[in-house]
Amino acid sequence: MITFETARTVILGVAASDAHAVANQLIDRHLRAHGFTVMNLGVCTPLTEFADALDDEPGAEAVLIGSLNGHAYEDLHDLPTLRGRGRLRRPVILGGNLSLGAHKQSADLDRLHRLGVDHILQDVAALVPLLDMLRTARVPVAHGV
Amino acid sequence: MFEHAALEVSPAVAARLPGWRDVTAHLRSRPGGRVVDVLRSAERAGQPVVQPRCGVGGHREMLALLRALEPAGPAVLSVTIDSYTRLGQFAEAARVLAEAPERLNGYPLVAHGWQRGRELVAAVGTPLEVRHGSPDGRDLFATALAAGFTSFEGGGIGYNLPYCKNVPLADSLRAWRQIDAVCGVLAADGVIVDRELFGTLTAVLVPPSTSIAVTVLEAVSAAREGVRCLSIAYPQGGEIHQDVAALRAIRTLTARYLGAHVEVFPVLHQFMGAFPADPAWASGLILYGGLVARLGGAAKVVSKTDQEARGLPDATANRRGIRTATVGASSMFGFVELDESRVAEELSWIEREVAELVEPVLGAGDLAAAIEEGFRSGRLDIPFSASRHARSSIIPRRDAAGAIRYADSGGLPFSAAVRRRNAVLSDSGGALRTAGGDETGEMAAMVHDISYFSRRDAA
Repeated sequence: MITFETARTVILGVAASDAHAVANQLIDRHLRAHGFTVMNLGVCTPLTEFADALDDEPGAEAVLIGSLNGHAYEDLHDLPTLRGRGRLRRPVILGGNLSLGAHKQSADLDRLHRLGVDHILQDVAALVPLLDMLRTARVPVAHGV
Repeated sequence: MFEHAALEVSPAVAARLPGWRDVTAHLRSRPGGRVVDVLRSAERAGQPVVQPRCGVGGHREMLALLRALEPAGPAVLSVTIDSYTRLGQFAEAARVLAEAPERLNGYPLVAHGWQRGRELVAAVGTPLEVRHGSPDGRDLFATALAAGFTSFEGGGIGYNLPYCKNVPLADSLRAWRQIDAVCGVLAADGVIVDRELFGTLTAVLVPPSTSIAVTVLEAVSAAREGVRCLSIAYPQGGEIHQDVAALRAIRTLTARYLGAHVEVFPVLHQFMGAFPADPAWASGLILYGGLVARLGGAAKVVSKTDQEARGLPDATANRRGIRTATVGASSMFGFVELDESRVAEELSWIEREVAELVEPVLGAGDLAAAIEEGFRSGRLDIPFSASRHARSSIIPRRDAAGAIRYADSGGLPFSAAVRRRNAVLSDSGGALRTAGGDETGEMAAMVHDISYFSRRDAA
């Protein structure tokens, strides 16, 4: 049995043009089972909605965005602008099927990192360890600059 | 300027379209053949025809893709629409189209305009269907009609709950009633536009009776608006007796609830869940899907590719998928015979479950209001809804044979007998699952069932 000294909260959602709900609901259950409080914004969530949720829940440790329809770059296009305005200053963790085409290239991931995506995950099993690592590190860096 | 009393189209889109008379005259000229004719000949032949999904952003690239796929022998070709257009974000679709069309995950037909749509229809001798996922498909439908497409996918439930977060069912049902009403007017005039209903829903562990209950409700609504040609799609679940029974149930149940004046074509969507990454295992699953379609008496099978696990396929893989599905649906596997008593038992339970779901709704005076109220109360439901307007209290599980059962039927108004059977069979699958890693039991069980095919290629 794992116990936490304080409640841990994350913000979860699916990118703006994407309606894939299954993985989102499974990750929600998975995180709850690990003791997290999950603010799940569900499918088709624009970045501004993630930013609003973080304003409402400033204790959230990270913003988890899923994208399965290949539109990750387009849907996260405004991340630098929002960060420039001082919003979404939390680790942004992205997972899913992030670009079109069956042959992925590292250039696709580089482009997403350049937008300010902090972590890109290929495997859900890596999510909780990453959140634990980020929490332990808890270095007050300004994400996305 | 496009105007029809039955269909509200946004003024900006309507202004760009030709008049109704031009649209119907063009449709009557049958520019690229009609989807309904292809489906009828498939029925006569007793062998399902094959249709791939395909859609890219650029117009030249879309033309090239259709021309590249046609030699593989599909009877219907798709123009799959991008996500922005599906959600009515035509300006965003146009922006990405101008900047980098290769970043769109489908063809933005509204941004391209109906004239280019006519070029697509004229480019190949194979009739085209628009496939999308729009909770409100009216602007896209008007554009597709003007372009001469003779098949249009979607419905007020199946294109709402899996595809968006917060569109009330009343709105999507109203939009799709208008589309159906226009198809009804056209049908009365001898112009048949096939309307395909997306029973695939969220594509993962969809119990057959959930899929068919949704499409039966949409079909009854469409028929009341005058639609005369319906393709009803069901997603391959993975257990062959259940899948064959489900395809057959589409015929028995539409005969019961629609009457004989509506032509119904059962369609199999090849497995829509997590696909094996290994091309050999993926090809095997595609072959298997073709076989299920033929045994179930489907008129059409929508094919997958051996790159499914990795993202959108290239044309070469898509061609291979069409060919493999065609072989699977052919007489090569005519020697395969199922245990018909087992199929018959599945069929009778599917019919019973669907009846228990739809009959209280069909009995109400206002069908759309009854559907909306059904989903609000949970007496209608789907698993893994993207929308807030369904409860998703259903928990589906595979039984020991791999068939999809209700481990928890939530608020569905099932009889005690149906509940008992689903409980017993769901439990039978439990012994096969192993809790792995640090996953909790429910998540591990769900992932195990979802990865029914994708996990096998490790063998």
